[in-house]
Amino acid sequence: MRVLAARLRTAAWLGWQIESNWAAPFLFVVYAVLRPLAMALILAGMYWAVAPQAARREAFIGFYVANAFHVYITQVMVGLGWVVVEEREDYETLKYVYTSPMGMLTYLAGRSTVRLVLATLSMLLALGVGWFALGLRWDWTQVAWGPFALAYALGLIACVYLGFLVAGAAMLLPRVAITLNESLTVAFYLLCGVIFPIDLLPVGLRQLALVMPFTYWYEALRRFLLGHGASRQLSAWPDATLMAVLAATTVAFAAISHWGYLAMERHARRLGRLDQTTLF
Amino acid sequence: MRLGEGFVHFLRAAYARAYVRIVGSFREPVWLISDAVLPAVGMCAFVLLYRALGAPASFEALAVLGGILSAFWINVLWGMGTQLYWEKQQGQLQLYFVSPVSRMAILTGMAVGGVLATTLRSVAGILLGFGVLGVRVPAFDVGLLAVVFLVSMAALYALGMILSSAFLLFGREAWHVSNALQEPVYFMSGLYFPLRTLGAAAWALAGIVPLGLGVDAMRQVLLGEAAHGLAPVPVETAILAGMAVILLIVARLMLAHLENLSKREGRLAQRWQ
Repeated sequence: MRVLAARLRTAAWLGWQIESNWAAPFLFVVYAVLRPLAMALILAGMYWAVAPQAARREAFIGFYVANAFHVYITQVMVGLGWVVVEEREDYETLKYVYTSPMGMLTYLAGRSTVRLVLATLSMLLALGVGWFALGLRWDWTQVAWGPFALAYALGLIACVYLGFLVAGAAMLLPRVAITLNESLTVAFYLLCGVIFPIDLLPVGLRQLALVMPFTYWYEALRRFLLGHGASRQLSAWPDATLMAVLAATTVAFAAISHWGYLAMERHARRLGRLDQTTLF
Repeated sequence: MRLGEGFVHFLRAAYARAYVRIVGSFREPVWLISDAVLPAVGMCAFVLLYRALGAPASFEALAVLGGILSAFWINVLWGMGTQLYWEKQQGQLQLYFVSPVSRMAILTGMAVGGVLATTLRSVAGILLGFGVLGVRVPAFDVGLLAVVFLVSMAALYALGMILSSAFLLFGREAWHVSNALQEPVYFMSGLYFPLRTLGAAAWALAGIVPLGLGVDAMRQVLLGEAAHGLAPVPVETAILAGMAVILLIVARLMLAHLENLSKREGRLAQRWQ
């Protein structure tokens, strides 16, 4: 256990050095929060634009909150795919990490911790800007802290495990890894009903959304933090059912991701793709 | 070399670079997804947000146009701004500098090729927005839209030339800077909402990146009053034309200055620093 902790710590430290050493600390913090903050402001701009004609303030706060939490998907889940791309294409060090006694999975888990911290900072900043600057507030007495904390933790587990799957895919598909990472960021934003209820999705996509743990994650975060969800379909579910489905999909996806990562890693090695650079 | 010959040489070099940009971009089919489909998919989320908020249908059209034009900003950032940086990483930048052509011709070719390739790819956004999501716009003046579009692109890609020169100095920061400039510029340009919503700040933001005024003018051509425009179309088009001229001059001066600076500091051929 102590060895595992030391390995995770080392991977996290290395991750921090890689992520941050191209800029001064202040500049890096600005960089880390700039994109999520801009996304939050775009949503606010859209709301301000339609507020005089279409005032659905409560619904909008729900979308804004989910958007703030979506940074975990981009930073952690898809971020692990970027870790593989950077290590292989930019620094050409993936082969050394792979052959080190640490093990790729431990390394990726360690790298994910830095990304979790950065994502948490971005999320808090987006919520803070919403609360203080944009006046997007909610009643703290309505917050169901226990279920909220549980849902939050389940979502983070899903992010990290699906991140392994994304990293595995990036190993197996060197040439398309960058596009795959970018696609997943946008696809999850659209599919999981971050800024609109999944009821508005066309048939087919809606059913696909109901397979994803993040659909339930966003709905649970909204429900337990604000007191209401966004989807009419999911609003009919009792809290316990929503949590149970969130837990079940998270466990299922975690198991699939773990197995899928190992299978793709093995396959990538067999095909000689672990150190196959395609960019420069 | 006489002036006429020099001009022909310039045009040939620009054509050669534009040819590579257009043909090359279609040789990597996966890039079609990141350059054409992804901005359009992101746009769908914003259209559905307007729908969820019960906004008038004109706002959906406004978001569709923003989504289509976001592909051009992505192209300016990654296809223009970071292009010389990519060339540096591939070890080809030196070839550009020793070749007997104007650097501005190369940048012009990149810009023209980028506009044409991205215009072809914007079909994905049009199909998703107007086809799948069923967004509609009233009848509009196609000629005026084409003029506003061309002037906007001239100003936007002139900014891309400036970024391209600036990125000559960059090492690893180039990637991060491009990344960081994506969504903030979407916001500053009011890609998904009328710029006028931001009140007095709108003019200041529109003055930084020409995309804002371009989107605003094109929306007015398409939607009229419902676009909630910042200023009348002729005024915005004139400002954009002025910006294009100024930005082109600045790009020319910056390219010469930064080329010298990066040579002096030994950064011109430096990789991954």
